[in-house]
Amino acid sequence: MNPSVSLGVLEQNAEEHVSTPILGPSIYSDNPQERIQARRLRIAARLEARRRKSYKQKEESRLKLAKLLLCGTELVTNVQVAVDTREVHRRVEEEEIKRQRIEKLENEVKTSQDKFDEITSKWEEGKQKRIPQDLWEVLNTQQLHCAGLIEDKNKLISELQQELKIKDDQYVKDLKKQSDDICLLLERMEDQVKGMTKSFRQELQHIEVHAGAREGGMEDQVEGLLSSNKKKWERALQAHNDKELEYLINRLKKVEDYEKQLNRQSIWDCEEHNMIKVKLEQDVQILEQQLQQMKAIHQLNREKLEYNFQVLKKRDEENTVIKSQQKRKINRLHDILNNLRSKYARQVKQFQEENQTLASDYRRLVMQFKELQKAKRHFAVTDDEKFQEIWLMNEEEAKALIGRAFDVDKIIHTHHLGLPWTAPDTSLLRNVGPLSQKRQRKSAAQVLEEVLLGAEEEGAEEAVSEAESYLDLPKQISAKTTRKILMLLCDESGFLIESKLMSLLLPLETSECYLLRLDAIFSALGIESEEDLYKLVHFFLKYRAHHLSSSQIAPSDQVNAERLSTVSFMEQTSVVSVPEHLSLTSASEEELAEQTAPEGEAESPVEGEQAERESPPSPKLIHPNDVLKVLEAFVMGLRKPRDARAPRKMRKEERDDSEDSKYWRALTTVIPSSKQNLWDALYTALEKYHLVLTQRAKLLLENESLEKQNTELQQLLRQYLNAQINSELQVPPTQVFRVPTK
Amino acid sequence: MQDPMTLGSSQSSVSTQERHSAADQPLPSTPQASKPLAMTLPAKSKAPNFRRMRRVIAEDAEWTLAIVPLLTELCIQHIVRNFHNNPILKQLLPEHQQKVLSHLSPDLPLAVTANLIDHESYWQRCCMQRWPVCHVAKHGGSWKRMFFERYLESLLKHFIPGTTDPAVILDLLPLCRNYVRRIQVDQFLPPVRLPLPPRTGDQSDSGSEGETEEPVMDHYQLGELVAGLSHLEELDLVYGVKDCGMNFEWNLFLFTYHDCQSLAATIKVCHTLKIFRLTRSRVDDDKARILIRGLLDHPVLEELDLSHNLIGDRGARGAAKLLMHSRLRVLNLANNQIRGPGAQALAHALAHNTSLTSLNLRLNYIEDEGGQAIAHALQTNKCLTTLHLGSNELSEPTATLLSQVFTINTTLTSLNLSCNHIGQDGGKQLLEGILDNKTLLEFDLRLSDIAQESEYLIGQALCANREAARQRVLNPSHFISSITASSLENSMG
Repeated sequence: MNPSVSLGVLEQNAEEHVSTPILGPSIYSDNPQERIQARRLRIAARLEARRRKSYKQKEESRLKLAKLLLCGTELVTNVQVAVDTREVHRRVEEEEIKRQRIEKLENEVKTSQDKFDEITSKWEEGKQKRIPQDLWEVLNTQQLHCAGLIEDKNKLISELQQELKIKDDQYVKDLKKQSDDICLLLERMEDQVKGMTKSFRQELQHIEVHAGAREGGMEDQVEGLLSSNKKKWERALQAHNDKELEYLINRLKKVEDYEKQLNRQSIWDCEEHNMIKVKLEQDVQILEQQLQQMKAIHQLNREKLEYNFQVLKKRDEENTVIKSQQKRKINRLHDILNNLRSKYARQVKQFQEENQTLASDYRRLVMQFKELQKAKRHFAVTDDEKFQEIWLMNEEEAKALIGRAFDVDKIIHTHHLGLPWTAPDTSLLRNVGPLSQKRQRKSAAQVLEEVLLGAEEEGAEEAVSEAESYLDLPKQISAKTTRKILMLLCDESGFLIESKLMSLLLPLETSECYLLRLDAIFSALGIESEEDLYKLVHFFLKYRAHHLSSSQIAPSDQVNAERLSTVSFMEQTSVVSVPEHLSLTSASEEELAEQTAPEGEAESPVEGEQAERESPPSPKLIHPNDVLKVLEAFVMGLRKPRDARAPRKMRKEERDDSEDSKYWRALTTVIPSSKQNLWDALYTALEKYHLVLTQRAKLLLENESLEKQNTELQQLLRQYLNAQINSELQVPPTQVFRVPTK
Repeated sequence: MQDPMTLGSSQSSVSTQERHSAADQPLPSTPQASKPLAMTLPAKSKAPNFRRMRRVIAEDAEWTLAIVPLLTELCIQHIVRNFHNNPILKQLLPEHQQKVLSHLSPDLPLAVTANLIDHESYWQRCCMQRWPVCHVAKHGGSWKRMFFERYLESLLKHFIPGTTDPAVILDLLPLCRNYVRRIQVDQFLPPVRLPLPPRTGDQSDSGSEGETEEPVMDHYQLGELVAGLSHLEELDLVYGVKDCGMNFEWNLFLFTYHDCQSLAATIKVCHTLKIFRLTRSRVDDDKARILIRGLLDHPVLEELDLSHNLIGDRGARGAAKLLMHSRLRVLNLANNQIRGPGAQALAHALAHNTSLTSLNLRLNYIEDEGGQAIAHALQTNKCLTTLHLGSNELSEPTATLLSQVFTINTTLTSLNLSCNHIGQDGGKQLLEGILDNKTLLEFDLRLSDIAQESEYLIGQALCANREAARQRVLNPSHFISSITASSLENSMG
């Protein structure tokens, strides 16, 4: 359209421009100039005529095209208009239908309201009815009315739903129609474009035909324009085609891709479907199996339950029987219970009385017991006194006997044996009265004092103190070691001492200071007696020994081993401790024996020395850091034996009889067995001697008697001899034998 | 990349050769041919010795004498490679800038490129890469503007409130604020509700229900975005969902009160806005009034399009008020529910208005009552050129009045009365009116029950008017615009 318009405009302008000069110069003029002018004009006019012709053609074409365009546009827009009209119609109809619907609904509402009112008014009526038949009738009619009302409403609802359905269908139809319309629109547009291009081309040709005779310049121009436009067009077309091709290829590619994807997807889906199907089938089978199983189980359960039910029924019956029995029993038992209650009350009363009597008895007995005790105490005192007296008496007697024995011994020694007599140990004899617990248990503090003070004097009186300390420490621990250990303990466990005490201790001497500190520490640790102290020292030593050995074996496990060892060691000591106590007392007894018997003295120091040699040379090997561990273990272990010791304290009050027998036995053994043997031997010897002497005496007596007989016989003989018979005898006896010459 | 001049000759030639072949990848050449050559060169130094002797090797298409590329070339390559970390562009010479731009990847982050690159060629590549079909003419001929507008549009289209991070859009804001002039979004996704309540029966009438029941159906709030865009001129929105298929629910197409209020506040603040379109969004009277209240006394707004909504008389009254209080040039209220009173209000405003040139009331219910009022208004109005009253159930009385208007009014050029019930007599009266009129160029009377004869005659009269108008246009000045083209457009709209 545009080019034609612009051309038209050009032409128009040209025409106007040309038409202005009206017949000026003529060809037939004389003036050659004018003639030339005229000819030129004539040529121009001819051209003009031709141009006008072409202009007319152009104008025609333009109008024709404009009309065509308008028609085309109208044709295209007709679709829209038609749709609009349809829409308007639809709206009108819709409105009408809507109005009708609303009217209908309103009517419906009104009628139903009327009906409803009627029904409600009838209710009132019905209420006044008294005869049941009438009432029934009224109710029936009411029901009918209500049903009618509801039916009306339902009808309405169904109608509306029908309408809705129709609308839905129509909507679908409309959609289809719309798409048809759009298709139509597109078609028409395309048609129009095609038609327009066609007609444009035609018109152009027409114009060209008519303007064909025009001068070359114009044609050239047109040609040039045309060719350039064509080129442009072709280029554009080419570009368009290229692009289209590109798009097509892209599209094809995409389609292929999608197809592939689809294929893949479908295959995959198929596989999945199959898989799922198989799986589901399997599931179904399994489920069927399970169902069967469940059915079987169900059957079984049912049977079981039935059986159970039967059993339960039986049981129930039994239970009812039992229940009745039980009820009877309960009744009976109630009776019994009541009886028992009354009996019980009676008995309670009885027992109370009994109790009172018994209580009074008890009181009396207690009084008696007290008196008895008093008597016992009195008797004990008297017994004691008697015992003392008897003891003294016996002792005196024994001593007298011993003195006689000594005297005899002395006599024997001096007179019979001719040996010098040495007086035996008479210390035992010095004892007067019954043996009492002379040896007191020393407290830990006392021992401490001894140890520390003893150690102080150590340098000067080493030998003496050694002997003493051995006496004090029967556990074969030298005072030195003990002291060292105690010092260590004192240094390490200062935290156990109260701070107040510490400040008080400052001005004191070192030894005293130690003493007091240790005292405090022991009180804190719960060490009370000497034994505890020794145990502690012993514990330290043992621990160290143990520690040394264990550390030599596995220093890495030291801590664990320490713990274990200390604990086990504690057990050992705690087990040992009780027998130790026993042995301790016996040991103290031995001391006495040692004191009385100086012969045995030499043995114990040797032992002690050996023990000390065994124990490591210096307790410094106990590391100060270990002290606390040892202490802890010790304190842990100390608690156990404490309990075991309690009953022993009770016994202390009784008199110790065991020593008495010893004492008396000792008294019997004042004279040693060797001496007795000596005496025995002497006795036998003397006996023999006595025998000999008695034999001799006998013999002497015999001799004397024999002499006497002899003299008598001699007298007789002489008498005989001197007698006359002799002379009368043939052989005088004097002749047979010679008469002893006396 | 070190300076290649310091390298050994054979080494450098090899490396540059390789680089060259790598750089010239897009050319329709055979890079495979050069590669084996490059590989063999250092390995067999004696055998291809003749190659080094010769300056030109005819067999190898890749062989060039310019073995070492220019330092500038290398620098440009380096810049291109590190553009992401160190964008250097403004400091370069224009020719180098071109080179850099032609090699830049369209995938570079926008934070780097947005405010740095103004060259259309780069943005053209970006657009072409992202979208297969690009109509740059629709975006003012600027590829950059097109890129940002379409990019923003795609972001908005796929924004799901409550799920998508709002920072996605707000981060883009400082980058695109100077380039976006139009936001055209034809889909706003509603927030996702995971547990969809089983509602099947009441789908048909859930429209009014949804408003009270679902207060959380709000869409993306444009407020912050629009406030940040300094050159925004056109806002074209459709609150709906595309391709919902069988998942259709009325709620998907719900333009909530909150949306409406925020949108009204947004456009009120946006003083650069010239065109505002909100179509197919089920805007009812209240919402229309809220929006229009926001637009009152707007300094530059020229076009308002609220077609295909549910605006009734009250909304129309609001629009009439807007006509009084703005410089609106185009008002489109097609396919709404405006009836007589609304049209009367509009007519009242029209009578005194001096800016409106186009009014579209297609597919409403104004009827004769409104039609007469508008006709009366046209008698005094001096600026309206285009009026569309198609499908409004107008009839003869309006036609009589309009025929009177034709004799008086000299500004109206296009009138559409199609699909009305004007009737034979009305047609005749219109014909009479037309015969006295010299300005009307377009008069659509299709399907309005007019006798064919009068329609034909009216067509003739219009033709004459058009001719006259053509003459008028041609005489004062050449080539302004072709009337037919514009008329075509008008009739289509």
